[in-house]
Amino acid sequence: MNRIVFISKKAVELFILFFLILTVLFFLFRLAPGDPVTRMVDPMLTPEDAAHIIEQMGLDKPLTTQYMIYVKNFFTGNFGFSFHYGEPVARVIMARLPCTLLLFTTSTLLAALAGVFLGKISAWKKGSRMDGVLSISALVCHTLFVPWFALMMLWMLGFQVGWFPLGGIISPELWIEDAPFGLKVLDVIHHMILPLLTLFIIHVGSYLLLMRSSMLSVLKEDYILTARAKGLTDRVIRNRHAAKNAALPVVTSVGLSLAFSINGGALTEQIFTWPGIGRELIFAVSNNDYPLAQGCFLLIAAVVLSANFIVDLLYAWLDPRIHY
Amino acid sequence: MSYYFGFMHRFSSNWKIFIQNPLGKAGLALLSLFALMAVASFGLHLLGPMYDPMTGVDPVVSRSVGPSTSHWLGTDFIGRDILCQLLEGAKIAFIVGLASAFISIIIGTVVGMVSGYAGGIVDILLMRLADMVMVLPSLVILLIIAALFGQLNIWMIVFLIAILRWPAVARVIRSQTLSLKQRPFIEASRVAGASDIRIIFKHIMPNVLPLAFLYMTFRVTSAILVEASLSFLGFGDPGQISWGMMLQWVWSSGHMFQAPYWLLPPGICISLLTLSFYMVGRAMDEVLDPRLRREGQ
Repeated sequence: MNRIVFISKKAVELFILFFLILTVLFFLFRLAPGDPVTRMVDPMLTPEDAAHIIEQMGLDKPLTTQYMIYVKNFFTGNFGFSFHYGEPVARVIMARLPCTLLLFTTSTLLAALAGVFLGKISAWKKGSRMDGVLSISALVCHTLFVPWFALMMLWMLGFQVGWFPLGGIISPELWIEDAPFGLKVLDVIHHMILPLLTLFIIHVGSYLLLMRSSMLSVLKEDYILTARAKGLTDRVIRNRHAAKNAALPVVTSVGLSLAFSINGGALTEQIFTWPGIGRELIFAVSNNDYPLAQGCFLLIAAVVLSANFIVDLLYAWLDPRIHY
Repeated sequence: MSYYFGFMHRFSSNWKIFIQNPLGKAGLALLSLFALMAVASFGLHLLGPMYDPMTGVDPVVSRSVGPSTSHWLGTDFIGRDILCQLLEGAKIAFIVGLASAFISIIIGTVVGMVSGYAGGIVDILLMRLADMVMVLPSLVILLIIAALFGQLNIWMIVFLIAILRWPAVARVIRSQTLSLKQRPFIEASRVAGASDIRIIFKHIMPNVLPLAFLYMTFRVTSAILVEASLSFLGFGDPGQISWGMMLQWVWSSGHMFQAPYWLLPPGICISLLTLSFYMVGRAMDEVLDPRLRREGQ
């Protein structure tokens, strides 16, 4: 029962947050210098088509009506038409979303798992040479400048050694020809390794540092002493008693550091020409494709908020000590 | 005021702990090196117009060439000196990082104090707002603002980064304020008839400010990275040379694979500068929180 109350409270909170973001964006688009009509309607359209879109978006109506139409359009999935593609923004975005999710979830999961594992070892061997090396490398990874590091990866592993393609998600010849499905999958993986490795290295450091400090504080708890007194082996104490509890804050941090990882993700997509949402947003902003930029932004906001929601749920499920 | 004077009094002993910390030592050394670079950029005009980082072009080369005696790190695609740009970039990085961190510290401190002191609905609303701002990806927000308002200048960027990066500070200051609120000297000034505003700014602020400034280093790190990313994507201030912009030029002029002498320095500088601020921050954390120290320190 408590759990249901907690979940619905969180859901309502998130909904209000998203509504706030939606509203702020609406006013930003109207506050910006220039005419909002030119921002939502492609200047290349014929007057009739333009009039149709103005009608649909309610751009000729008073501000309050415009706002109502904007909200209604949003919830019916109507984000307007992209200037560049001449297609509904929703369709463009939906085509990009899987690519972003694939790259993003894989790298986050791998980095979190590796970070927890390495952080555990680092904390267990606190003060040792290995701990020093791991902590310093984690610090370096954490403060690396993402675009530069991505360029270095591309330059070294893509250009100099030539192991990996220089960009994109799939080789064009495979895409056009009716290649077997397995080959396509392998090709996508081959394209994904470099951006994945970049994101992994950038994120693993912060997870490692977090797990390390969390583990260090857990190791001082009384129940660890009890476990030792019971005569349990080091391995059991480390893995069963300490690491399990120490990993909890890491779970929360996945949600909190999402903002940070989305910045990195967009930059990585841009450099490896990975056809995801982040790259589409940068493209839209560079080409003044306002409806597309707005759509990408709202989608990113929605993804961030729902990921935080999932993390909250996960945390509540993992930690039975939580009282709602 | 006890905490404040205690803090100043403990400064010398804290400094000893800090300087014994290998992270702190290395971070401070690196930081001084970059500070020297930034200071050196003020002397660039002495070298003559050819070495101006923005407009100086070497008429003999006027394209990108590798290191030579007249250009120690080589030149960029129109023949500007890369070393001079690097020095100028150090100045901009310091300005952006410190100014933006300073503003976000001020906002975070005020919000944290008000939230902690007022409690109730004000506290809930402010902390919800902090939660909201905390999860927003700052680069994405800056991109959308750049799209709507056109080219942003450097101070606008500094300010925007600051108003997106205050929540972490506000949380720390809020919890500090919550414990300060219970101290007798606050009670005493309230009994003496001090107003809430006076209590917050006269009695609580001096006690939380040192703590707030200790958290400044982490804000500097993130501000530098966000500004560099923005410049790298081509939305920085076109009137200022920054390291991110240098990388943008390498990339957009197609020299990425041909000019390692141009690709390496700005990236290394950004990463090292942020690393050194981060190391100093962590070392200060360890000074404040003895539990983080290594045994025997």
